[in-house]
Amino acid sequence: MGALGWILGLLLSPWVFVPLIYPGLVSAFAVLLFIIWFERKLAAKVQRRFGPYYVLRHLGGATQLVADLIRYLFAEPIIPEEADALAFVMGPALLFGLTLLPVVAIPVSGTFYAIRSDVSLLIVLALLTLGAAMTLIIGWAGNNKFSLIGGLREGFLSMAYEIPLFVAALSMAAAYGTLDLVDMVEVQAETAWGVALNPLAAFVFLVISFLATSRFPFEISEAESELVMGPFTEYSGIMYGLTMGASYLKYYVLCLLFSIMFLGGWEPVPPQLAAVPFGPGVVVFAKALALMALGVFLRAVYPRYRVDQAIRLAWHYLLPLSVASVFVSMGAAWLGLTGA
Amino acid sequence: MGGVEEVGGRGGRNPVVSLWGHLKAVGTGLKYLIAVPRMTVKYPDEVIELPDGYRGMLIYHQDLCISCGLCATICPANAIKMYLPSGGGGGEGGGEKPETPPKRHPGIDYARCIFCGFCVDICPTGALEHSKVHDAAYERVEDMLYRPEEFAAGPPTVEFERPPKRLRPVMDERRGISYEPVG
Repeated sequence: MGALGWILGLLLSPWVFVPLIYPGLVSAFAVLLFIIWFERKLAAKVQRRFGPYYVLRHLGGATQLVADLIRYLFAEPIIPEEADALAFVMGPALLFGLTLLPVVAIPVSGTFYAIRSDVSLLIVLALLTLGAAMTLIIGWAGNNKFSLIGGLREGFLSMAYEIPLFVAALSMAAAYGTLDLVDMVEVQAETAWGVALNPLAAFVFLVISFLATSRFPFEISEAESELVMGPFTEYSGIMYGLTMGASYLKYYVLCLLFSIMFLGGWEPVPPQLAAVPFGPGVVVFAKALALMALGVFLRAVYPRYRVDQAIRLAWHYLLPLSVASVFVSMGAAWLGLTGA
Repeated sequence: MGGVEEVGGRGGRNPVVSLWGHLKAVGTGLKYLIAVPRMTVKYPDEVIELPDGYRGMLIYHQDLCISCGLCATICPANAIKMYLPSGGGGGEGGGEKPETPPKRHPGIDYARCIFCGFCVDICPTGALEHSKVHDAAYERVEDMLYRPEEFAAGPPTVEFERPPKRLRPVMDERRGISYEPVG
């Protein structure tokens, strides 16, 4: 009994709960299993098909991704003879892990967080950039022309998207007068949601998060119709599963960040959830999931930009717009809209 | 760089116009998501009635066959080949010598067949015709080879776990293809 209580207390302590359960590993896997199935169902409906159906028929094939995961687990992972074996094998695990890393600095509620820092936004943004380097390494390690081209495309794109992403996120810091994500939510609770205070920054951040995570219309580095699977071409088995999940995972992290910065985070907290320490996190989760649904819906709508078009979009339009969003934030703060 | 700009040809596109285009695209997607019905069927549970002239697996009438070999000649995928009857030992090793050499008959390898129907068209006696069977499944690739005597026994019958619902496609001005139940 004492041991059980101790384990439960350990699991529910924020510095274990946040990286391991929510918003960390367990909920990330749940999101992956759900959102990829949901993406396939949405795309199928728009294209007038049924999509996954036969695995758990009564729920519309909801466990299709569990079946796929089991198949990946038992498939033989093949390491090409000419590949850089160490980088090839370590790549997917590092990519997946590094992509999930930023969640440690994302607060679950005003009182429940693993790390409370007055620069937690900067921590999240900095950790977000690590994954792109791993994609480059993976693209090199496979010793395949498709993976090399895919990795280079990711490199070009990450140059183009990281600056506007940072500027748009930091413009919100300027509006709220803080870099602390907990404080940001509190400022929004007192005034208005960030998406109303600075719609320009919200728009840029949203488009950039599509661009940064290979969502359509920017599915450029993984371009299936040209590059097989981009940087991940040579992977098989569970290593492929990890690489494929990584872009969804990054999108999940960006959506969590978006809901905290622009959609009021855990506010308003329903009273039923307020009693549980991590209860308000459910609200953030729901907002992030709705946002992810929007992102995966675009797969059914769009073809793809060419890499030069996407880079031009980022440098010519999104970067100036993100700089303009700084002035919008300054204007909002100057007018006293943010209470800062 | 200049070349890329010219190929793109969108340097001067008004961003407002292009944003409106994006909104229209998303709107169309939403319309299809909500309002437009599906065109496919849940296959093993629902089966579409096939039209006449459907080019399915072949039916071989050995009594009509004159062993001319035209089907094997015309077959673009080399799926049909002519085989000696397997019961006769296949060689000259036996004691008695037949007066006439044994006739060859066509056999088909469905692993190669592309269902083009050339063999049916060229057969001078109508010994080959199409059935509507198209959804047979095989566990081993060798099972897909039908020698003449198996070929003459007809295409495999397809068994469903549950009896499927038969549907007939109906062309509809507004919806495209829709389905109505048969029988």
